[in-house]
Amino acid sequence: MSTSSTGLSRRRFLVGAASIGAVPLLASCVGSGSDAGTPAGGATTLTLQSSIQDTGPKAALQEVVAAYTGQQTTLNSVATEQFRAQLSTYLSSSTPPDVLAWYAGSVANSYAQQGLLLDVSDLWGPGGACANFSPALRALSTSSDGKAIFVPTSYYWWSIFYKKSAFAQWGIEPPTTWDGFIALCDQLKARGIHPLTNGIGSTAWMTSGWFDYLNLRINGATYHRELLAGKHSFEDKQVADVLDQYRRLIPYFHPNQTSWDAQQAVTPMVNNEAAMYLVGAFCTQYFPKEQQDDLDFFSVPTINPGVPTAEEAPTDGFFAAAGSKNPQGAKDLLSYLASAKAQQTYIQKSGSSNMPTSPEVDTTTFSPLVQKGIALLNSTQEITQFFNRDSSDALQATADAALTKFLANPADIPAAQREWQAAAKQVFTS
Amino acid sequence: MTGATALRARPRTGGSAPGVRKRRGVLGRVPVLVWVFLAVPLAVELFWVFWPAFNSFSLSFTSWKGVGPAQPVGFANYERLFADPVFMTALRNNAIWVVGFGGLSVAGGLALAVALNRPGRGISIYRSAIYLPMVVSLAVTGLLWRVMYQPDGPIDAGLGVLGLDAWSRQWLADPDTALYAVLIAAVWRQVGYIMVLYLAGLKGVDPSLEEAAAVDGANAWQRFWRVVMPQLRGVNTVIFAVTVIDSLRTFDIVWAMTRGGPYNMTQLLSTYMFQQGFTLVNLGYGSAIAVVIFVLAVAFIITYLVRQSREEA
Amino acid sequence: MSVINRPRPAWFHVIMVPFTLLWLAPIVFVVFVAVRSFDDIAARGLGALPASFSLEGLVTAFAGGRLGAALVNSAIVTVFAVIASLALAAVAAFALSRFRIPFRRTILLVMLAGNLLPPQILLIPVSRITQSLGIYDTLFAVIVVQVGFGLGFYTFVLHGFMRSLPAEVFEATVLDGAGAGRTFWSIVLPLCRPALAALAALATTWIFNDLIWAMTVLRTETKFPVTAALLNLQGGFSSAWNVIASGSLVAAIPTAIVFFVFQKQFVSGLLVGSNK
Repeated sequence: MSTSSTGLSRRRFLVGAASIGAVPLLASCVGSGSDAGTPAGGATTLTLQSSIQDTGPKAALQEVVAAYTGQQTTLNSVATEQFRAQLSTYLSSSTPPDVLAWYAGSVANSYAQQGLLLDVSDLWGPGGACANFSPALRALSTSSDGKAIFVPTSYYWWSIFYKKSAFAQWGIEPPTTWDGFIALCDQLKARGIHPLTNGIGSTAWMTSGWFDYLNLRINGATYHRELLAGKHSFEDKQVADVLDQYRRLIPYFHPNQTSWDAQQAVTPMVNNEAAMYLVGAFCTQYFPKEQQDDLDFFSVPTINPGVPTAEEAPTDGFFAAAGSKNPQGAKDLLSYLASAKAQQTYIQKSGSSNMPTSPEVDTTTFSPLVQKGIALLNSTQEITQFFNRDSSDALQATADAALTKFLANPADIPAAQREWQAAAKQVFTS
Repeated sequence: MTGATALRARPRTGGSAPGVRKRRGVLGRVPVLVWVFLAVPLAVELFWVFWPAFNSFSLSFTSWKGVGPAQPVGFANYERLFADPVFMTALRNNAIWVVGFGGLSVAGGLALAVALNRPGRGISIYRSAIYLPMVVSLAVTGLLWRVMYQPDGPIDAGLGVLGLDAWSRQWLADPDTALYAVLIAAVWRQVGYIMVLYLAGLKGVDPSLEEAAAVDGANAWQRFWRVVMPQLRGVNTVIFAVTVIDSLRTFDIVWAMTRGGPYNMTQLLSTYMFQQGFTLVNLGYGSAIAVVIFVLAVAFIITYLVRQSREEA
Repeated sequence: MSVINRPRPAWFHVIMVPFTLLWLAPIVFVVFVAVRSFDDIAARGLGALPASFSLEGLVTAFAGGRLGAALVNSAIVTVFAVIASLALAAVAAFALSRFRIPFRRTILLVMLAGNLLPPQILLIPVSRITQSLGIYDTLFAVIVVQVGFGLGFYTFVLHGFMRSLPAEVFEATVLDGAGAGRTFWSIVLPLCRPALAALAALATTWIFNDLIWAMTVLRTETKFPVTAALLNLQGGFSSAWNVIASGSLVAAIPTAIVFFVFQKQFVSGLLVGSNK
């Protein structure tokens, strides 16, 4: 019965706040957090909240955290959806997790503007853990008011992955031109092999992989970024050109792609029923151990030679909550996570073909695949992240609906564009 | 009932009670303890349900991203609802859902309850089998059925055995079948529950009335609708309430199976609310959708209760 | 033999046996998937009958999903929440069904209306409130939220049941303050035992199977109930169907056990009372 009596007193406690008015009410619930019990343990422990789900990286992060010699750190891995839904609660809580694993981009920026992220500029200053990181990473990690709020620890590239043994068995070579790619797809299809696989069921965002790359290859990175920032319309001729090429690819996809997620989509490749997969390098961990060394990739071939080369390279990392009870400890943990040693351990244990952000990591011991990925990104002129990271989760939702629908009914491109633009407009005006 | 025996076994405390005696034994003066009995649970519910709901409802007149101050926007969220094609799809799907989920589970549950009401050989096995799914959580039910619907999964394999390969398809990815595929999974779990409720109700049905009707020459069908059904009115109220609540609140199973996809074709109000409110953190707009869900639920229940109390009067 | 008690015709079983088997097929198939090895599933597809027997899925589910600890958390939450909910619902139903409390019918409907709210709408405020009370990220918070949210329905059902008890039960007792308490404890509660048992079994399945409240007020992995642990597991093993299937079965077994232990009460006890 203890619940009931406390229920009463709590009710009285909040009734006072009720007089302020409808919306400030809620804020007052939040604001009154001070009379909560003192945070357990005070400022000598740390909490790291992670949304990393894939088994390899998850275990790798556990190992990295276990090896941390600073203050005692609790690692919480929660489902990505739960993390996303609770992120604002986490950050605005009176006892937030100290460090959170997420990515840079619009979400981090909007929280930074609300003053919810810890300023980690000293880590980027001389002698800091991120001091030698590339200028591109520095720009990515800086909020609009000029403060560093993010610590990138790994990134990866997107490309068309294939199995060397399968290509050898089929007697084919990676194509170097767009026409060559289409011809290869035709050839494979004629032999009863699904040229492409994808997983757009519960991971509908995978449809954006091809959209991004076609847009980068046809219209270039500048147009792509501006489109995602709302400066162009999805009804543009340029988008029509992209969808036109996308439509050419539809017959080449494995028909089960609509039922699979990104992870399940590798199954036909494992069994040599499908040949190629445009996906992030994280896909390597989904293959059986003995096939991981068999994987290779080639970049999406040039379509319009008039635009600069571009690749997608999403960056992952950590930020800290401004409300952390232990900001010094949080920064120390971030410095550790950014260190060459921690990055090296994480990348090697995770099996997901990530690349380090720290220039001090000795990459010569990395697999040839990762070395090739590093070379790819070093040679490209433009780098983008991914649809949602370059825009917002809200715009991603419009892309998911528009592109999955387009893939199912590709006949009427202008109608698809109209619908997409109408949904996107809601996002940019709300 | 065992009520009478239980009563006789108790020593009577004091003389006969004073005060009013209504048919149902409602007593006059209300002792303080009884007020406490009522006040404590009521306070708990007010605090943990109505107070947060009130907070949320007030959010529906704002634009709020989860942090910082919420911007008051008046009725803009509600206006946006009616121009939002996804909301309209969700509304239409919810109508299909209430009718399909409610109708199939009530019809199935009632039919099975009638068939399995009288004890007999194997009856308890049938009953257990049919209500076993109800102990499985909706999220797990979604998982079970995702396995069933996988390409090359049991359903496609079963169709193959029957020579109906042409019928197999991407059950959860085909917009023509996705909503119904999820609906079947949800009904599968619900039927047992409804059956249990009807079995309980049928226990209270007076067999002599049916017997009398049979003697008068009524056939089984007539006896059921004219004699048995009217006696199940109380159970029907509970079932109606449970069904409406469950069908408007359905969330886990859709989320587990399709996340509202493909391209929002299986979006229900609850999943769209979750997507807007939590995935996209448009808490104002999400709250407006929740208000719509609540209003619909209350409207259903009130209509039913009013109609029923008029019948009783 | 009366006309309505004829024995069932033979075709009844001819229909019911295949129907029952088909009904159980999803569960049976998941058991099959759970005991197959990963390689077997990958090579022969999900729909195939098992050609291998392996507990690797179960082992991985327990190791990778912390299912053992999660089951303990679920049990704690379920036991306390069920007891507290039914205790509070019983006293409220007693007060509302047996005393001339003004607006008692309205109060009952308002309490039931609380159950009509989509739980999603309460998530953000509830998590903020638990934070301001300092109970965020505790199992206690999950318990009180569950109690608050379930009360309306339990009260509604118990109210119907108590209303249907014969009036003579109450006429015999003096209902001063102490008398009301004694009547409740020594007469009403024992009479309500079947309804309480049925509701307890039902509440157990609801509370044990809850995911959304746990997601809302917990953030520490070691405090997660089995449903949240399972969600975590799915993210990591989405193509390892044997692991997912094993985890799902583990999450379903406790409620299945409760269900079969209380099976009698379920059917006979859910005599919701309102059929009078």
